[in-house]
Amino acid sequence: MRKFLAVVKHEYKKIVLKWSFIIGTLLFPIIAAGFAVVPAIIFSIKGEPTRIVVVDQTGRIAPRLKENLSAERMAAKATQAMKDSMKNIDAPTDERMKNSAEQFVESFVFTDYNAEEKSLEQIRRELNGKIIEKEYDAYLIIPNNFDAADATFEFRSRKAGAFAAERSLKDALNQAVRSERLAKANISEAQLKDLSKNIDFDAKSVDEQGDEKDSDSVFIASFIIGLMIYITLAIYGQMILAAVVEEKETRIAEILFSSAKPFELMMGKLTGVGLAGLTQLAIWVTSALVLVGIGVAQMSAAGMNISIPNISPLMVVLFFIYFLLGFFIYASIFALIGSMVTTVQEGGQFSFPPIMLLLVGFYFSFAVIRDPNSQLSFWVSIAPFFAPITMPVRILAETPPAWEIALSIFINAAAIAGLIWLASRVYRVGMLMYGKRATIPEVWKWIRQS
Amino acid sequence: MNENNTTLKVENVSKHYGDFTAVSNLSFDVKAGRVFGFLGPNGAGKTTTIRMIVGITAPDEGSIELFGEKVSNETQNRIGYLPEERGLYKKMKVQDQLRYFAALKNVSRAEADKRIDFWLERMKLSEWKMKKTTDLSKGMSQKIQFVSTVLHNPDLLILDEPFSGLDPVNVEFLIEIVAELKAQGKTIIFSTHLMETAERLCDDIILINKSRKVIGGTLREVKGSFSKNLIALRAVGGSTVLEDKSLVAKIITHADEKEIELTENTDAQTLLKRLIENGASISKFEQIEPSLNDIFIEKITETNA
Repeated sequence: MRKFLAVVKHEYKKIVLKWSFIIGTLLFPIIAAGFAVVPAIIFSIKGEPTRIVVVDQTGRIAPRLKENLSAERMAAKATQAMKDSMKNIDAPTDERMKNSAEQFVESFVFTDYNAEEKSLEQIRRELNGKIIEKEYDAYLIIPNNFDAADATFEFRSRKAGAFAAERSLKDALNQAVRSERLAKANISEAQLKDLSKNIDFDAKSVDEQGDEKDSDSVFIASFIIGLMIYITLAIYGQMILAAVVEEKETRIAEILFSSAKPFELMMGKLTGVGLAGLTQLAIWVTSALVLVGIGVAQMSAAGMNISIPNISPLMVVLFFIYFLLGFFIYASIFALIGSMVTTVQEGGQFSFPPIMLLLVGFYFSFAVIRDPNSQLSFWVSIAPFFAPITMPVRILAETPPAWEIALSIFINAAAIAGLIWLASRVYRVGMLMYGKRATIPEVWKWIRQS
Repeated sequence: MNENNTTLKVENVSKHYGDFTAVSNLSFDVKAGRVFGFLGPNGAGKTTTIRMIVGITAPDEGSIELFGEKVSNETQNRIGYLPEERGLYKKMKVQDQLRYFAALKNVSRAEADKRIDFWLERMKLSEWKMKKTTDLSKGMSQKIQFVSTVLHNPDLLILDEPFSGLDPVNVEFLIEIVAELKAQGKTIIFSTHLMETAERLCDDIILINKSRKVIGGTLREVKGSFSKNLIALRAVGGSTVLEDKSLVAKIITHADEKEIELTENTDAQTLLKRLIENGASISKFEQIEPSLNDIFIEKITETNA
């Protein structure tokens, strides 16, 4: 037992005290924080206000336009755009671009222009001159016949092409003209406001217990959980492979085997590396929870009502249990491969099958997210190799009955026992076989003989 | 068996790998406090035998007793094994590696640290304690490996080709340390095919070839049993004695001396007496002993034939 603990400690320290581990562990929360915070910061940066001259020969549109483009209105619009972008993570790219552009808060400075006694030609010439001299950025001429079907609103700007402000201006202008038309039709401002109020579309899914939950946030959280387990299992599996091959390659195995039982050594290695993985995951999960908490607090402060998926402490515990189940399944496979091969490169070729299994499990998790109660979801969240990824996803998407979780844990624990039995037999022979890679029939012989 | 007397007792041990027999019915004893030469060509079964002694594999037949007990985890803690092909963790500090190897032999951390300092000092490698293996030269890492073998103060030291790849100065240095350990009462099994070194260091030897024991005993006994009654002689006169076929089987004449092979029942003393009686003036009369190297080559060719 003392030797086993010595191996655990050795393997744990070997990973945790490495720079790559420290950086990787801290970098993830920093990057995640970056993704959450940086866009908000960028969107909140106000560009230079656009100095614009409005030539309104009727005097009816300009006041409405100014009101539509007021700072309060623009802020409200940006908030709405941000909310939409959160909900539509699978929206097409152009729509997302449009959405992010709208999150910029544009500001305008208006200058009135006295158009009396001047012909349109004169006005244009004069204003063009002022734009060239950079006195103004743009001008807008509202025609007398703004209500007519062929009315043209002239907008000329120093900044070429479509800049974000142009969109906002166009929208505001449209709105202003529409309001004016409605006013003409004798509909009061109050009525107008009432009539044009947006509906509140509240989309939530209902689970089997009849509780409502926010389907978008569940989708995102499940995806993140599945991805996190997939990545950590792949990384830590490869670490086991590298550690086993190093001891074989450098012939340290010979010294180790003369000091402790091969089974003790292998289990010590798996446990030590597994604990290192657990440490990293715990740091990630904690920081993710903190970040989500901060994010939600910020959004509700901004007047948005985003609910987070209901994550209970039991779910977190189950999540770690499934990480460990997955770790021991894949780590024992990687340890077996490591003791068969002679170099890390060779091991890389042989790690294709387990990586493939992991990937299939990860893909199944999408099916589970889409329909957590289907037959397929049931089977893949119980099957060994897949359950460590699919079950946590399923638990989060929609917690299955306790007996299904118990069955899944039991089946996977049994798979681990079998795999460790196999791996330890291959390990104790393979680690002392130098020179060439073992063939599958040879490995089969070791398993049967020892 | 008395533990004070016999450290290792190998009895009728065999080990097979499929159809291949690595060790066949091997028996030998290693006495406490002696240096035991475990000799044989490559592939003779030395490493397999050592692996059974240190408990990496178990014999198919026969028994191995260490310190009067069966091979177990307890006996493993009392053995220091330096395998022929060995290494260190590449990216680990010297101190951390040594601590780990000591922990695997059940040495407490405090005790290990004390001994690490002592041995690094002894090896003149103290300033390398915090360096990684990749910074060490080949000779240095070999000395570190030697330290890892003796850190837990083992009663039995098994050194498999410990000098390969070392420069002559370091070889002498390690031989000195081995002698010190022997003086402290440690038993040392020394596996090599460098016969000159074996001849210098070993009290007892065993020679194995093709999985079997060829010859064994104290160095003196082995050499004695190979003594072919050869005499190097430089003398004036006495030629009639040398022509006596009942005494001399064969004469090889070199530039200024003769190599004389005596007949089976003749004692060197008899020849000397007869020569003096015959009035020969003798400037050299020396019994020639075969070197371990000669014995090795002769025995191996014989058993290979």
